[in-house]
Amino acid sequence: MNLKNSTSQTQYEEEINVSTNSGLPPKVAALSPTEWLKANLFSNAFNSVLTVLSTAAILLIIRGLLSFIFNPLRQWSATATNMRLLMTQAYPEHQYARIWVSLGFLLFLTGISLAFWRAGRSVQLSQVGKRLLAIGAFILLATLLAPFSSRATIIWLIVGAFIVGIGLLLKPAHEDKTISSLTLLSGAFLLAILSLWVVPYGHHSYLSTRTPKILAEPGTVAMTTKLPWTIMFLVAVCSYFLGTFIRKKIDETRSKAVLSVTWLISPLFLLFLVLRDPHFDTGHLFSTDIPIFLFFSIVGSVLLLWLTRPDVGEKGRVISAAILFVGFATFLFQMLMIVRILTLVLAFFALAAPTFSGQKPARTRYAKVWIGSMVILCWLITAINTPSTAKVPGDFFIGGFAITLMIFFFTMVLAFPLGVLLALARTSKFPIFRMISTTFIEFIRGVPLITILIFFSVMVPLFLPDGMDLTEIAAVTIAFIIFEAAYLAENVRGGLQSVTRGQHEAAEAVGMTNSQKTFFIVLPQALRVAIPPMVGQIIATFKETGLLAIIGIFDFLYIARSVIPGQTEYMGSTRENLLFVSLVYLVICFAMSKASQRVEKRVGLGER
Amino acid sequence: MTENETKSSIRGDRDLANAQDIIVCEGVSKWFGDFQALNNVTATIKEQEVVVVLGPSGSGKSTWIRCINRLEQHQQGRIMVDGVELSNDLRNIEKVRSEVGMVFQMFNLFPHLTVRDNISLAPIWVRKKPRAEAEEQASSLLERVGIPEQADKFPGQLSGGQQQRVAIARALAMEPKIMLFDEPTSALDPEMIKEVLDVMKELALSGMTMMVVTHEMGFAKEVADKIMFMEGGQIVETGTPEHFFTNPTEERTKLFLSQIL
Repeated sequence: MNLKNSTSQTQYEEEINVSTNSGLPPKVAALSPTEWLKANLFSNAFNSVLTVLSTAAILLIIRGLLSFIFNPLRQWSATATNMRLLMTQAYPEHQYARIWVSLGFLLFLTGISLAFWRAGRSVQLSQVGKRLLAIGAFILLATLLAPFSSRATIIWLIVGAFIVGIGLLLKPAHEDKTISSLTLLSGAFLLAILSLWVVPYGHHSYLSTRTPKILAEPGTVAMTTKLPWTIMFLVAVCSYFLGTFIRKKIDETRSKAVLSVTWLISPLFLLFLVLRDPHFDTGHLFSTDIPIFLFFSIVGSVLLLWLTRPDVGEKGRVISAAILFVGFATFLFQMLMIVRILTLVLAFFALAAPTFSGQKPARTRYAKVWIGSMVILCWLITAINTPSTAKVPGDFFIGGFAITLMIFFFTMVLAFPLGVLLALARTSKFPIFRMISTTFIEFIRGVPLITILIFFSVMVPLFLPDGMDLTEIAAVTIAFIIFEAAYLAENVRGGLQSVTRGQHEAAEAVGMTNSQKTFFIVLPQALRVAIPPMVGQIIATFKETGLLAIIGIFDFLYIARSVIPGQTEYMGSTRENLLFVSLVYLVICFAMSKASQRVEKRVGLGER
Repeated sequence: MTENETKSSIRGDRDLANAQDIIVCEGVSKWFGDFQALNNVTATIKEQEVVVVLGPSGSGKSTWIRCINRLEQHQQGRIMVDGVELSNDLRNIEKVRSEVGMVFQMFNLFPHLTVRDNISLAPIWVRKKPRAEAEEQASSLLERVGIPEQADKFPGQLSGGQQQRVAIARALAMEPKIMLFDEPTSALDPEMIKEVLDVMKELALSGMTMMVVTHEMGFAKEVADKIMFMEGGQIVETGTPEHFFTNPTEERTKLFLSQIL
């Protein structure tokens, strides 16, 4: 030990010599613990009093929390037994494989994306050691504070000491020794999943027979929990290695684009997988859907190939405007929804055509994008028209955490483009756009979210014309979309205003049209500035989905607050469930805010 | 006189007397609120001519040059650029802008794009060039302005002089007939002014039609074919550099020269 110390001492001195030779600033000597205490905590009488008081307060809070959590009166089995209810509400048990497949697919995408975007950074082992030391010390402290039985105290002390030991081992590691943060993360997950197989958390299950039975036995968790999670973990890890493997073989920019698009479409696909009957109505498919698809893809691509010719000029704009008009006009007549939607989409493609016009390859690419969007749109519309196989009691096929996630996802994906459009309209030169957008934004921002939600869930279905049906989930999702779009629009507008006049002039001076200027110059800069407030808004949206509980949708919070405490076995378990729910919200929001910090750093790369 | 000879010898066989008029301004006026920025400006600039616009600050030099590619709108009079009259018609404005390159005082490079993309973006999307061709052109333009090694950097990583040279390359990438320079060296540190002026001289020698608002008297003396002096939104005096610097006729011009020289 002594020998090791002395070698590291000489190493340290060598380093100092090197650094002074190369003209670097001199290293500041580290403070000894007593000096540090004096400098930071007890620098004068007042600070000392503050230190003592706040330490006492922190210790009391920790003790209070621990005695709440580990009180034998707590019914933690309420949360554990009802985990399936919390996650998916009444989704039928024999269909559960669909949910696992969906989750597995998402994890597969995550793994590949992590590999392609080279996520993770290298962390110094000594830093990891310090962090473990802190965690271990905290566990030891908490164990001493908590009102544990002597057996539990010993177990926790051993766990704490073990972590401290690992920390002490790693702490003196050399600066050069690093480890990827992804390896650390997957190591942590691996430990958690191994513990499912080893540690006796208790075996809870909810048997949904005619008279529901609750089963709580000692032992490790149920096979239906630990086996799927182990597979999920393996899927994620394997897909990461698959990603690093194929990354070298194929064109990276293109596959990144494919991945991004897959991320955007996959929730729709998965929704279909979770919800719908795999048996199509083939008669309808061949008589109606496929002919319409073929008509639009052929006529559309011919039209777009013509519109993207550089010499088409004013005639093209007139024709595009005419298609837009026809698209809106279809809503006045009896017509298949698919025709209306495709006409409108064609109109937008036609209007954008001058921006993407050019030589032959650019034009065929544009037509290909059109056909690709046709495939996706037609498939989606057909998918929605087929009935659900997941027969569940109540109004909707899924609930709990799944519906919280689903509404959050669709809100963000649709509110973001709408918000950008609103912001552009509000800053546009056309007075009518400006007026509509400003009125919309100010109106929505002036009304509480809960009012809009109640309006959409109760009133809007009454206003709908005959034959048009909106489920409550769809209605509240629309409510969320317009509410968040109004707020996102204000964030984007802040970004738009931060783009200087010089940037506009430079783009105009090289002859760009208004839309080219907006897409290539203004929006990229504006969105970059708008990232921090937008992430704040996204996190707020995630938490606001809790309001669904108030209008009686079986979301995560509602099940925890009202449904589980309503079971005869778990009367009065509200506090336990709420604590669990808030922990889940906390973890997800924290992860989002961390990820956004990473993104901010990344997009700030080129700027000084 | 000798100076004039050397200039014409370097600049080749330009026949300015018989050259076509490329910019024609007739009675151009503009107001900002109640303040009249341009007062009945009438001037003609010929093809391949290098015109330097001088004058005290607030005299309307920048406003005039910005009217010529319609970054500002004139409210009276006519501006014809290469036979196209500037009016509210969007198509005319886009046509003129793709033929007139502009270099700004504050560079106005696009900070989110690399130098190469800054230069090739407009040729790709406005001129509809294939990407490979546009990028090749960007490389050769960077070579021309003397910074071929900076193509993959972002503007924020370059010095002011380098940024301004990229801005010149960006304007040249559109293959313009006319280049407008709005105080191109005013935001630069003294040691970087020369590198930008050198690029501009090279451009003038290659026969580009140029209109330059500047405070660089050396550049004006050496390169200009014609000097226009503005004051209070009007062109007070027009003439060759020799006439202007040695023998000005107007009182106001003499006062200006006595203050700067």
